[in-house]
Amino acid sequence: MSRDNERFAHAGDYVLGLLDDDARAEAERDMERDPEFAETVRRLAERMSSLDHTAKPAEVPAGMWDEILGKIATLPQDHGTSPPAQSAANQNSATHTTPWRKLALAASLAAAFGLGYAGGFVMKTVPEPVVLVVLQTPDNTTGAVFEAFADNSVKIIPLADFEVPQDKIMQVWTLYDASVGPVSLGTLSSAEVTTLKGQKLPVPAADQLYEITLEPRPGSPTGKPTGPILVKGFAKRPAG
Amino acid sequence: MSAVERSDQFCDGLMLRVASGDREALGDLFASEAGRLIAIARRILRRKDLAEEAVQEGFIAAWKHAPRFDPARGSARAWLTTIVRNRALNMLRDGQRLRLTGDDMARHGESDSSADAAFEALDEADALKHCLSQLDEARRRSILLAYVLGYTHGEIAAKLNAPLGTVKAWIRRGVIALQECLS
Repeated sequence: MSRDNERFAHAGDYVLGLLDDDARAEAERDMERDPEFAETVRRLAERMSSLDHTAKPAEVPAGMWDEILGKIATLPQDHGTSPPAQSAANQNSATHTTPWRKLALAASLAAAFGLGYAGGFVMKTVPEPVVLVVLQTPDNTTGAVFEAFADNSVKIIPLADFEVPQDKIMQVWTLYDASVGPVSLGTLSSAEVTTLKGQKLPVPAADQLYEITLEPRPGSPTGKPTGPILVKGFAKRPAG
Repeated sequence: MSAVERSDQFCDGLMLRVASGDREALGDLFASEAGRLIAIARRILRRKDLAEEAVQEGFIAAWKHAPRFDPARGSARAWLTTIVRNRALNMLRDGQRLRLTGDDMARHGESDSSADAAFEALDEADALKHCLSQLDEARRRSILLAYVLGYTHGEIAAKLNAPLGTVKAWIRRGVIALQECLS
């Protein structure tokens, strides 16, 4: 029972908001590692939320929504990882070759808003990719690594800088059936770690072809690759 | 289905639309939830302007992180509430509550009692009401001051005029007993 007590006490401190930033981040890591602890937090938070429902709604100032709308108008959503903020110098240059960096930004943003947990909401556990793809550039250096998931979402980890002129965009393709031809998985405008949304396609298989081509914005006009191949590679199943 | 469950389902649907980039759906969520969330943040931050700021930042964060929302793991309302609660707690810990105006101070006493009021307002059929009422008064008040008003251990100790170690023990034993009762 004392193990239960420790877990209850720890979950209590977390849900009551009594932990400092470091201890809270630690508790959120514990939640990812320990499903039993995560479930304890979720249940307590759900029960405690009855107290929130007793708050009598306050008046909402006029114009508050418009202000929010103004702020999110150009704010991209975070699909798994946060794109690093570009420097003004990058934005002003005709081409941007953003170095691929700040991989931990998503995690720190989540921590800043306490998004690891939310009234019983625990951040989705990280799914395992079904295939990995190492993509080579035309001069045979490794240009990017993809992790492709069962829902055909693809996490793209660039390993080289690509020059993308402002009127162009990088488009990601896969070929799961030669009779269908290459199918677009989405586009990215700069070389940043990106997760493309899932598509209704067969689950990625070993030896499936993936590639990135350079296309006119906002994407290939024909729906098939038209521009030069930046990187290309075949899927492999992760070992183990 | 209860009104709360219906409203939960409505909000979950909206949040899934937000996750696919629908700003109008976030506007509908705002219309439905902002008043409630400002009230929750205000219990913690006391100041109206800070509570509104917490909610505004909360909605911006919800927009950004909406693709992470998974209704299987908890409702959208609970998710939004926690984003705003955590934002409010962070603002509080950054010391912003210390800069209170005279008017705000006048409301201070009223605000302290709102922790008890929140408990009293719980539905009699709610297991939380039953289980909180089973606790010693000191344990119950410590838990309510922490959750509803965002008090730290130190603030609870000052408020209840008890040593810090005692307050920590009250909360520890209180939350353990509470969860045993709830399970």
